[in-house]
Amino acid sequence: MSKEVNKNVENGQNTWHQITLENTDRRSALKTITAGLIAGVGIVSTSCAVFSEDQEKETSQLSWDEFFKKNYKIMSDDERIQTVQRLESLYEKKTGNTINISHQGPLDDVLFGYVFNISKCQGYMDCVNACVEENNQDRDSEMKYISIHQIEKGHGFNFEKAEDEFTNEVPLKNHFYIGTQCFHCENPPCVSVCPTEATWKEKDGIVVVDYDWCIGCRYCSASCPYDGRRFNWGQPHVPEEEVNKNQHYLGNRLRKKGVMEKCTFCIQRARVGQNPSCVDACPTGARKFGNLLDPKSEIRWILENKKVFRLKEDLGTEPKFWYYMD
Amino acid sequence: MKVFIQFFKDSLEEVTSGSKVYHLWMAFLTLIMLIGAFCYYIQVDQGLIVTGMSDSVSWGLYISNFTFLVGIAAAAVMLVLPAYIFKDIDFKQAVLIGEGLAVAALVMCLAFVVVDVGGPANLWHVIPGIGIMNFPDSMLSWDIIVLNGYLFINITIPLYILINVYQNKEPKKSIYLPGVFISVFWAVSIHMVTAFLYQGLQARPFWNTALLGPRFLASAFAAGPALIILILTIINKFTLLKVAEKTINKIAIIVAVAAQINIIMLISELFKEFYFPTHHSISAHYLFFGLEGKTALVPWIWTAITLNVIATVMLTIHKIRTHKKFLLIACAILFIGIWIEKGFGLIVPGFIPGQWGKITEYTPSFIEVGVTLGIWAMGAFIFTVLAKTGIGVELGKLRYQK
Amino acid sequence: MIFALVSCTSNQEKEHKYHGNFDKIKALEKDSIEYAVKSTDLIENMPLISVETNEVSFFIPERKSKIKAFKCSECHTKSIPELKSKNLTGKKAHDSIKLNHATIEELTCNSCHPSQNLDHLKSNLNAKIDFNQSYKVCAQCHSSEYKDWLGGAHGKRVKGWVNPRISNTCVDCHNPHSPKFESRFPAKLKSRKMEEIR
Repeated sequence: MSKEVNKNVENGQNTWHQITLENTDRRSALKTITAGLIAGVGIVSTSCAVFSEDQEKETSQLSWDEFFKKNYKIMSDDERIQTVQRLESLYEKKTGNTINISHQGPLDDVLFGYVFNISKCQGYMDCVNACVEENNQDRDSEMKYISIHQIEKGHGFNFEKAEDEFTNEVPLKNHFYIGTQCFHCENPPCVSVCPTEATWKEKDGIVVVDYDWCIGCRYCSASCPYDGRRFNWGQPHVPEEEVNKNQHYLGNRLRKKGVMEKCTFCIQRARVGQNPSCVDACPTGARKFGNLLDPKSEIRWILENKKVFRLKEDLGTEPKFWYYMD
Repeated sequence: MKVFIQFFKDSLEEVTSGSKVYHLWMAFLTLIMLIGAFCYYIQVDQGLIVTGMSDSVSWGLYISNFTFLVGIAAAAVMLVLPAYIFKDIDFKQAVLIGEGLAVAALVMCLAFVVVDVGGPANLWHVIPGIGIMNFPDSMLSWDIIVLNGYLFINITIPLYILINVYQNKEPKKSIYLPGVFISVFWAVSIHMVTAFLYQGLQARPFWNTALLGPRFLASAFAAGPALIILILTIINKFTLLKVAEKTINKIAIIVAVAAQINIIMLISELFKEFYFPTHHSISAHYLFFGLEGKTALVPWIWTAITLNVIATVMLTIHKIRTHKKFLLIACAILFIGIWIEKGFGLIVPGFIPGQWGKITEYTPSFIEVGVTLGIWAMGAFIFTVLAKTGIGVELGKLRYQK
Repeated sequence: MIFALVSCTSNQEKEHKYHGNFDKIKALEKDSIEYAVKSTDLIENMPLISVETNEVSFFIPERKSKIKAFKCSECHTKSIPELKSKNLTGKKAHDSIKLNHATIEELTCNSCHPSQNLDHLKSNLNAKIDFNQSYKVCAQCHSSEYKDWLGGAHGKRVKGWVNPRISNTCVDCHNPHSPKFESRFPAKLKSRKMEEIR
């Protein structure tokens, strides 16, 4: 009796053994063939390039290393230096020009904040242009991180009545202007929803994206209440002579198609004491930037002395971008 | 091991032989798949810019189909539970067809996700261990886990049953029954998790309602079994396997009840949006009535609702539901109505208007449609292959010869 | 088991959750912070003037060296009323300056420039104000903008957000004789389409 039971159990185990080893064989054969064909075609076409013999080998090696690297967030300092060097080499081989990609980490005791004076904004859009140039944004799709909204006075902050693409002389009579961009929330929904942790909040409060880690699922863009994120639907192009060569790995280095990007408070500038380009470009001083942890900073004075507010306050995202009026 | 190789060989022979109609069907599907593959090649080469999506509407046809098919996959297995409870139908048959459909639908889901992402070569980033998976914060990570787990269950259970019947052995209930039960409850979870993907986003008030998850389940359990009824009818007509009339009737009751619940939930949603419209109702207003002259989705949603209501009424009336022809018509229009509702009626309006009030309409491009049809053809192909093999084993045609 | 493996590989830092930004700011703020960069590193030897009140202290750019024809007295020996009279011989300079600032009942040349001393500015009650501290003149009427400017809500930083604070003074942005910003067209977006049009 027990022998029979044992044999049955053994049979059962054998069958299970077979199943667990072979479960993808037969059924997924066709799926894998088709998927393999498609993937193979895709990979071959995206990695094809024309180089000279020697260069080709070196470039292939660099590209190979780049493809298999880790998420920047968990890289050690050495690994970060290596990836930055690889990227600089690849660029030089491709274009003959040198760039400098920084991996500067967050400064101590710094939490960046931003304030926008609605009374002062006149709709000049100098900020939009400065940002595009500073951050090497795609010229083909007219990507711009900053949106300036023109709203007729009387409607209040009713964005359904806002015009985003205006070409009239500014300021238009009876209209006011309000700018939006990534607000670098303290509770960023984009960071929670990213399936691979390709976007995260740095210690100094800047929400960043590792462009090489992003898989392009666009979940973050669905979750952002403020239209802060931009996707590279096609291959981004920046004319060679307009490329800003002072770059940061998490900031304005050149991106590729199929990845997300966004305003980074000009991380390549902010971490060396400079203002983001939008702040410097604004002729009316409508934009202010600084360290929230310095009680004597301008931004703290504004937050404590002017009537400041944030947009969509009820969503619980705690943006670090406030608005005020004179 | 030998058994498996022989099984593979036998089933290969089985799926490559059949009537003229069968061959025409498979050739047709292959043609569509090749067109889809070519469209996908163009998309990989140039980027997602060849689709109709934009920063404003960043998910479109692909994710719509993904959402709908997760429901089909979930519901396909739901017919297993009643089959077990009612105890009067050949349980094994229901399991095989249902889980075969679930596998095909799941493969389609995974395919839609792969074609939707901007960097398919980087998808390994999501695998825990070699990459990073943002669990438990990201609902997408939950979805990846539950969908793949469900696929695993739905491959192993039927495989176990088939491989035993193939060898003229009785598959042990003690082995497959627990798996079947797990898969039934897992089916509910895959669709709730997929619903939670959208439900949790405070940025999109059209989705951010408590009813989204239950609504997904209701519409899935209406559309999935409706498809199964259509498939079983085809199997009755074109193969030697005969599915009992009462099986189909019992499934029809499930479809009817689910369709009724779906309508009730729709009424509840309409009430919430339109009784006292707030700023949060603006997406619903765009969907049902258009906004500022932009009315692209209005004909779609009203068609969907009309089809759903007619189908529900047809299925509720006993005399109509039991009439074979009307049942098939009701199932077909219900399937189409829910497909429209889940896709253009849910995913796209969630993005319109955008976060700052901008209205950007969405139309899928030809490439998108091509890839979508290719994936549907692939799903039908997979299901046909699985069904033919399963039926072959069931009928005794496929047997292990030593 | 899957869940355990997966949550182990998740790398979200479990940071302390604050109730809102102000709680976090109050918890982490530091009274004196040393930055690796100073704003003076960013301005390349621009001469600065300091502004000190009870609450704030910061710098503004030095002004006199930037006025082309300072000191006024090197050329002008006559007083303003005499310069304005029509009987004067010799070339008339500054006649392109149109005073477009408030009305004639509120402001005239004499409101800010002392008649007899063209190298300084003056307050309402004839106190001498140096050209480098011209903001004191503006502050007389524009007291709310002045308060805002002292705090940092009005005006622009010269460069950088790090210490020490270097802010533009009133006349760095506003022409004191015609302070209103004129209407203009928005900046043309840099894009391929725009390049092709050009």
